[in-house]
Amino acid sequence: MSERRPRIGVYVCHCGGNISDFVDVAEVSKALGEEADVVVSKDLMFDCSDASQSEMIADAKEKGLDRIVVAACSPKLHEATFRGTAKRAGLNPYMFYHANIREQASWAHEGDRKGATAKALGHARAAVAYVSLAEPLERPRIESSKAVLVIGGGVAGMKAALDLSGMGVHVYLVERAASLGGHVAELGKVYPYGREGPAVAGRLVDELSGRENVTIFTNAEVESQKGYIGRFEVVIKVSPIPGAEERITVRVASVVVATGFESYRPLKGEFGYGIVKGVIDLPELLALQKGSGGGALEYEGRVVKDVAFVYCVGSRQKDIPAASGETPARVNKYCSRYCCNAAINESMVLSKEHKGMTTYHLYRDIRTYGRNELMYEQAAKEGSIFIRFDEDNPPEVFQKDGRCGVTVRSALLENQPLQLTVDLVVLVTGMVPRPNEGLNGLLTLPIGSDGFYREIHQKLRPVETNIGGLLIAGTSQGPKDIRETLASASAASAKAASFALKKELELEPFVAVVDPQLCHLNGACIKECPYDAIEVREGKAWVNTAKCKGCGACVAVCPTEAVQLRGLRNAQVKAMIQAMVR
Amino acid sequence: MELVQKAETRYDVLVVGAGLAGMEAAVDLGDMGFKVILVDKEPSIGGHMYLLSKVFPSLDCASCISGTKMSTSSHHPNVTLLTNSDVTQIVKEGEGKFRAEVHERPRYVDPSLCTSCGQCEEACPIIVPKELDYGLRGRKAVYIPFDTAVPKKAVVDIDHCIFCLQCERACPGGAIDFMQEPREHTLKVGAVILAVGFELFKPERKKEYHFGEFANVLTSMQMDRLLGPTRPYNALVRTSDGKEPQNIAYALCTGSRDRSLDNPRCSQVCCMYSMKQAQLILGSLPAANVTLYYMDIRAYGKGFEEFYQQSKAMGVRFVRGKVAKLEENANGDVEVYHEDTQGRGMVEKSTHDLVVLSVGLLPKPEVARAFTNAELKVDEAGWIQLADEDESAVRTSIDGVFAAGCATGPKDIPDSALEAAAAASECSAYLTRTRVAPDE
Repeated sequence: MSERRPRIGVYVCHCGGNISDFVDVAEVSKALGEEADVVVSKDLMFDCSDASQSEMIADAKEKGLDRIVVAACSPKLHEATFRGTAKRAGLNPYMFYHANIREQASWAHEGDRKGATAKALGHARAAVAYVSLAEPLERPRIESSKAVLVIGGGVAGMKAALDLSGMGVHVYLVERAASLGGHVAELGKVYPYGREGPAVAGRLVDELSGRENVTIFTNAEVESQKGYIGRFEVVIKVSPIPGAEERITVRVASVVVATGFESYRPLKGEFGYGIVKGVIDLPELLALQKGSGGGALEYEGRVVKDVAFVYCVGSRQKDIPAASGETPARVNKYCSRYCCNAAINESMVLSKEHKGMTTYHLYRDIRTYGRNELMYEQAAKEGSIFIRFDEDNPPEVFQKDGRCGVTVRSALLENQPLQLTVDLVVLVTGMVPRPNEGLNGLLTLPIGSDGFYREIHQKLRPVETNIGGLLIAGTSQGPKDIRETLASASAASAKAASFALKKELELEPFVAVVDPQLCHLNGACIKECPYDAIEVREGKAWVNTAKCKGCGACVAVCPTEAVQLRGLRNAQVKAMIQAMVR
Repeated sequence: MELVQKAETRYDVLVVGAGLAGMEAAVDLGDMGFKVILVDKEPSIGGHMYLLSKVFPSLDCASCISGTKMSTSSHHPNVTLLTNSDVTQIVKEGEGKFRAEVHERPRYVDPSLCTSCGQCEEACPIIVPKELDYGLRGRKAVYIPFDTAVPKKAVVDIDHCIFCLQCERACPGGAIDFMQEPREHTLKVGAVILAVGFELFKPERKKEYHFGEFANVLTSMQMDRLLGPTRPYNALVRTSDGKEPQNIAYALCTGSRDRSLDNPRCSQVCCMYSMKQAQLILGSLPAANVTLYYMDIRAYGKGFEEFYQQSKAMGVRFVRGKVAKLEENANGDVEVYHEDTQGRGMVEKSTHDLVVLSVGLLPKPEVARAFTNAELKVDEAGWIQLADEDESAVRTSIDGVFAAGCATGPKDIPDSALEAAAAASECSAYLTRTRVAPDE
C-alpha cells in the first residue's frame, strides 16, 4: 500500500517591493513549482492580505493541498497569521513553514539581485523539504494562573495594576522603594492641567488602595523566576526593615515590567556642570523650586532672576569625548521626547510664580509635538526667549562675578556670539534606561540599541517581548510623558489580561520527545538540559513537556538520536540543509 | 410591505471606525471574549494605513501590518463588520447600556453573490477620480474599492451611476441589485470605542501654495501613493508630464502651526513621514535631490531621531525656513520662496521640479453630534477631549465611551496602536464593572 504523496502549495510574496525589488519572485516561484510534490506555486503581491489568504484556502480545498509554504517576511511578523490561514483551510497549522526571504535574502543582499534570488530559492526549497516531512502537531494546553505580576510602582505600574484589577485579575505589585509613586511623585506642576506631581501619583495610589484584588509589596524586589507564559513562579523578596527579610512566592500568568527610567546625570564639566556654580539639571531645579515653598526662588542665598535652559543635554548625542582617565559615557542618540514639553512647562510655572523672571531657551529643535505646540506659543508670547543653536556649535557656560552665563551663537544673528549672564543655567536632561542588571538577567529581558527594553514590533506588538507572557510598559520601553505612559500601561494590561483571563492557554508544541527504543540512558541530555525538564522513568530518559522550552540542547548531545524535537526532527533539519545546498 | 429593514442586535462593544486603531481595539476585545461590532463608513475596512507605502521608522510595509489586521478582524469569531454604514445616534441608557442607530447605505450589490471578478467594473462606462488614490487614478461608478479590500465586494457609487445597467448585464453572478434599500440597525451595546481617525488638511486653503493650480505641486498623501506598492504609474514620475523628478522640495507644516489657517497645532506625523518619503525617493531615484523646508524637525518617538540622522547621512537636505509662497515657471518647475535662517537670513528663491506639501491632520468632530443625551466633549479644535489625561489616555467625557488613535489628536502608528489596546483594556474593565459579562 503506497502512502499518499504530500500535496504542497507554495506562495512567494512580493511584499509590495520589499522582496520583489531585489529577488526575482516569479523565478523563485517557477523553480519551486518544479519541486517534487509541489502542486501549486504562486507569487503574490501580499501573501498576508485577506485576498491572498483566501486564495490559499481556496487552493487547499480545490487542489487538495495538505501542506503550505509561505516565502515572505520574518516569521516573527506573520508566522502566526499563516498558521491561522492553514487552520482555516482545514489543515493542521503545523503542516506549514514560513521561509524568511525578506530579512534574510532581499534586505540582506540589496543590489545583488542574482545572489538574493538564489538565496531566497534555497530558503524556500528548504521550507518545501521541511513540510514534506512535517507531521500534524497538537498544541499542549495548560491552565493559566489568574494573576499578573507588575514590577514597578510608578505611574505605569500603578495604571497597569488598576486596569488589570478592574478586569478581575489579581495583581501583585512590586515596588523597590518604600512607597508607590515613582518619578511623578517627585515632580512639581505637570502639564496639561498643572496638577502637582504628588497629586497625580496620589490619586492612583488612593484608587489602588481600595482594590481588594491588588497585593502591594513595597521595599520589595523580584529575587528569582521560573516557569513560562501562563505559569510563572516568581519569588519576591520583601525587606521592610534592614535585616528583616521575607520571601513570598507568587504564581502568575504574565509579568508586566514597568521599571521606569532614570534622569540623565550630566558629566562633570558637561556645560560646566559640577564646575561652574549655578549650573544645575532639571530635577535639581524642581527640587530647588519645591524648597522655595512659594517664596522667592533662591540659589545659594541669591535670588534667581534670570534662567537659561540648555536643551537636549544627554539626548540626541554625538560621541562625547571622555575626559582623560575617565571611561567614555554611553552615547544617547535618541530624543527623550518629553523634555521640550517639560522644560517649557516648567519655565512657564517659574515665570508665573516669580514675577519679573526672564527665561532663555537654548535649543536645537523645539519638539512640542501636537497640542503641546500651544504651550510653546504661549511661553513665547509671555516673554520666554527662544534661541536656536546649531548642534555643531553648542553653547558655552562661563562664570562671571559670582553669576554664571552662557555664550550662544544664534543662527538668526549670523552666528555672532551672544553672552547671557544669568543666575541659573538649567540643563534640560532627558531620560536614560535604568540599568536593572539583576532583573534583566532574571527575566532575560531584551534590550534595544538605545538601552531601553525592546518590544517585538512597534506597531503590531508594542508591549510584548520575545519572551511569551513578559510585557513592557511605560518609560522602561522608551521616553514618554504621563499620558503616553498611561496608554502604554493600559495596552500592556490588555495583553496581560488576555493571558490571565483565558481558561486555558495553548503553548507551542515544539518540545523534545524521547524514543525509548533508542534511548540507552547515557544521561548526557539530563545534564545538558537548562530547565530540569528531563528525568528518568522506567530506565529511560523522559521529558516533562510542561518544563521543556524546546531549546534543543538535549538533541545535540544524544549519541543515538533518541531525543528529538517535535516539529523539528533531525531528518527534517538534514533534508532542509540538503535542499539549501543543492 | 416594510420598506426599511430593521434589525436589533446586541454586542458587548461598538467600535466606530475600522482604521488601524479601531481594528486593533476590536481584535483585542474579541481576544478577551467580548462580542464586538466594528462599523465603518467606507465600503471596506482599513482606514488610511493601507494607502501608505512603507512606514517610519522601521520602513516596513504598511500593507503587511494593516492588511493582516483587516484579515484578522474579518475572520475573528467575536468581531462582526458593518461597512458602508454611518452611526447616526448613540444614546446612553445607563451604565453599561448604550443604544446606537446605524444607517447602512445600500451597496447595490449582493455581497453573497459577488465574487469580485471585476466584470462590472469593465462594463461600466463612467470614470470618476479615485478617492483612494487622491485623484491620481480613475475608478468606475461600480468598483471594487481596492485589491485587498475587506470585504472584497463591488459597490455602486450611486451619485455617479447613470443607470445604463451594463454592469447588471455583465455580472455573471447576478449580484447587481438596484432595488437594495438602506438598512437601519439598532445596536444594543455595553460600551463604545470611538476610533474615527482624522481628516487631511485641504491644501487649497493655503492659497500661497497654489495646490490644484500648479501642475507640479502634490500633497504628501499623493506622493505616498506614488511610492506605494500599488502605485498608479509603477514609477516615480511627475504626474503632469511623466518626467522623472530630479529636485524635489517638501513644504513642511502645510496647514499646521499656522494661525492664519486656524490650526496653530503641530500635526505630529509630518516631519517623520516627509523624511520617510525622502528616503524612499532616494531609494528609487538615487541621483535626485530632496530638500525639506522645515521649522523644527520633530523626530521625538522611539527610533525617530536616529531616522533623522540617517536621512541626513543619506543626503536629504534640510533647510530651516518655512515656505512662504510658490510660483510656477513656464516649464512647470516651481519656485520656492523661503527664509534662509541658517545663512544670511535673507529671503531666497530655489527652483524645484516637484513640490510636495506635507499636509497636516485635522479632526473629525461630527461623531460628537451622534450623542443625543450625553455630551461628548471635544476641544476647541474639534478633537475628542479626554476626561482626565492624568488618569487615562482613552476615557472621554462620557463614562463607557472611549477614544483611541487620531480621534483625540494627530498620532503616529505606534501611538495609535498603543491607545487602541489601552481602550480595549479600559473598556474591558468598564464592562466588568457594569456587570456585562463577556460571552465565553
